[in-house]
Amino acid sequence: MAYSKDERAYLWLCACTRTDYRERVALLRAAPSPAALMEGAEDFFAAAGIGREKYSGNFAAREKETDKFIAYLGEQEAFAVTLLAEDYPESLKAVSLPPLVLYGKGRRELLGERKFCIVGSRITAPWAEKLGKAVSSEISKKFAVVTGLAEGGDLAAIEGALPSGDLISVLPCGLDLCYPAAHISVKARIQRAGLLLSELPFGEAAKKYSFHARNRILAGLSEGVLVLSAAARSGALITANCALDYGRDVFAFPYNVGVASGEGCNDLIKKGAFLVTGAEDILSVYGMAASESVPVDLNDSEQRVLEILRESGEMHLAEIAKRANLLIHEASAVLSALEIKGVAVKSGGNKYSVS
Amino acid sequence: MIAKIICYALNGLEGVPVEVETDVNKGVPSYDMVGLPDTAVKESKERVRSALKNSGLLFPMNRITINFAPADIKKEGASFDLAVAISLLKASEQLFGANVKDTVFLGELALNGDLRPIAGLLPILISAKGHGFTRFIIPAGNAQEARFLGGAEIYPAATLSEVVDHLIGTSVIEPLETAMFVPHAGTRSSADLRFVKGQPMARRALEIAVAGGHNVLMSGPPGTGKTMLARCLPTIMPDLTFEEALEITKIHSVAGVLGEEGIVTERPFRTPHHTATTVSMCGGGNKIVHPGEISLAHGGVLFLDELPEYKRSTLEALRQPLEDGKITVSRAGGTFTFPANFMLCASMNPCPCGNYGSSKRTCSCTPAEIRRYRKKISGPLLDRIDLQVEVDDIEYDDLTSDEEQESSEVVKQRVDAARAIQRNRFEGSGILTNAEMGEKEIAEYCKLTREGDEILRSAFDRMHLSARARARIVKVARTIADLDYSEEIQPKHVFEAVSYRIFEKIG
Repeated sequence: MAYSKDERAYLWLCACTRTDYRERVALLRAAPSPAALMEGAEDFFAAAGIGREKYSGNFAAREKETDKFIAYLGEQEAFAVTLLAEDYPESLKAVSLPPLVLYGKGRRELLGERKFCIVGSRITAPWAEKLGKAVSSEISKKFAVVTGLAEGGDLAAIEGALPSGDLISVLPCGLDLCYPAAHISVKARIQRAGLLLSELPFGEAAKKYSFHARNRILAGLSEGVLVLSAAARSGALITANCALDYGRDVFAFPYNVGVASGEGCNDLIKKGAFLVTGAEDILSVYGMAASESVPVDLNDSEQRVLEILRESGEMHLAEIAKRANLLIHEASAVLSALEIKGVAVKSGGNKYSVS
Repeated sequence: MIAKIICYALNGLEGVPVEVETDVNKGVPSYDMVGLPDTAVKESKERVRSALKNSGLLFPMNRITINFAPADIKKEGASFDLAVAISLLKASEQLFGANVKDTVFLGELALNGDLRPIAGLLPILISAKGHGFTRFIIPAGNAQEARFLGGAEIYPAATLSEVVDHLIGTSVIEPLETAMFVPHAGTRSSADLRFVKGQPMARRALEIAVAGGHNVLMSGPPGTGKTMLARCLPTIMPDLTFEEALEITKIHSVAGVLGEEGIVTERPFRTPHHTATTVSMCGGGNKIVHPGEISLAHGGVLFLDELPEYKRSTLEALRQPLEDGKITVSRAGGTFTFPANFMLCASMNPCPCGNYGSSKRTCSCTPAEIRRYRKKISGPLLDRIDLQVEVDDIEYDDLTSDEEQESSEVVKQRVDAARAIQRNRFEGSGILTNAEMGEKEIAEYCKLTREGDEILRSAFDRMHLSARARARIVKVARTIADLDYSEEIQPKHVFEAVSYRIFEKIG
């Protein structure tokens, strides 16, 4: 991977000095060009009041440092997209504090595609996970799906989009780390089929604030954000709020009144977010049509149980059996048929809901 | 004069004949024991001396040598006391005219001459009968246990003097009458499915589990009756046959946990606490190898309450016995195989706080905590549990409702019918239940219709099942079909079987 002189200066500044974001921006503003900043770092750093302890060596040493870092990226099969790179997403530049460098692993070309973000909190109801997965799979035919790497909503989005590979997962830590650690295999699959991104250098662990910072990238990359689930206070709402700030579209799943894991979603809808019950609700906003869904083949008892289930959305197995006039174990067999056919989902505690 | 008396040592569940040879010579009084006796056997000298004295008999003041043959096996415990005493009496010519040939003497002596019961009597009697011995003198305290051995003369004696009187013919002990085996002869346990309110899914799962000999895991919030449901399991299991009862009694006798009835008449229900060690579960011991909880549960139920709380290594040790139905314990002293064909019933909370999936309370656990909790049960172990069922939160109305619930008796009839079908199916193959089927039997008896195969294929793909899980689903479907009196496995049976694997999420 060849980097221009200016890009090399960006990499040096971000990866080889101990400056923070504010200092980097100040330095870049002060210098006529990034390359000049790297060459005359002593002067510019001193002028900005940044001490010698934050960087090291003379120009030659800095060049060497940068070469070493680029070689390291190559070893890690990673690449760096600087703000100056041609494929740095335009939409991300509109963010108030755009990342100066994005590190990536996987399919770099996804950066150039249209992107749509799907997020949800870690505790997401089974029906929302299932619907989220279906929506993600449908959306991934037209967009690259952008999401995080957590359980629940993020995982639903990942599972939906991963088969097509049109998936960008933005991490709250360095690319060599994995948070949550349990998703190490998921991370490996994304790296193979899709794209992993992070603005944090290798080795940097996730901190409390990294999630907030990561969420601005999620929203910044995307044309719109779908929130699968969000309690009254949820990280997914931060992403949605960022999206509103950047003038992106916000979508949300509707929830029953009083369901804790959906209060945030209902709030978003109240404030004007698009209500989503299927991928077509999102695609129509962008003037696209969803692909025709294949009707499922159901027999009489399956049809009857599904209709009963539709009446109230979620129901206990015993109740369903009573209403359908079936024995418990007969109803349980029918429901597991519906589940395998993808129209019902088990939502814990022997309850089922439509999906 | 030399006397030879037969007694028995226990080696695992098998009795090994031991000859006690005593030689009383003229010379400086001494007492030597040879032939690998352990401390408890050597100490028998003092017990025998006092018991003889207190029974009005003489302890010979001569040069005494006692030999235990064969010399190469280790003799342990106090069950040789009676044989040592009788051989001493015989050698010192105090049993004039008594015929002790081919009689097996078993029992521990008290200082006053009483006979104390010994552990493992029944397995010894069964082995000895197999070796051709038919006359036994045993402690009266073991009489209940010995009554079930037919075809042998068994004389229960309370004291050493009774034994001596019997041998020289002054007063004869009445031989034991052989007792008939009656299942549930003891007090029936108070558990009954009639008292379990609600829980239709769990009841059904238990019924299938018992009908086909499958393992079952119940997951549900605390206090919803998981333990109560499990306790009902023995009440719906088929009655013990005499052979089964004897085998179970043998194990319980060796472990010294046999009740007063002398024979096990009800299927065992073992609930080891989660602090149980691997050795206590699987069996082991320093010198004498004891059967563990899984062997004590042989023929019955091993109930593990709060499954994730058990030590991981202990749970993993269950994997091989779950497949083979027996456990082989190897120690420096030897290798012992104990039967361990039990039905595993486990319960767990859905998450550390217990409220995940509850309709009334909210769960306060993070996804990582729940994952960690569930991960304590390894995939391979979960694979071996065919039926996983969620237990409901009970409403107060359910608890107080008078609605008649099905009793264990009714469920048991259905189970018996399904077991009868299985008995016919596996006639002569040594297999009793669907759960024991191997690949060959599955191919032969569990042919799926094309539709059924399609269902399984899509379930297989969507739930990421292992090959073993597939075989297990098929076996459960077979049992469900049996409960339905259906010759072929229909799609609805497969669907129901799939619905009992709640831990593999349908993706």
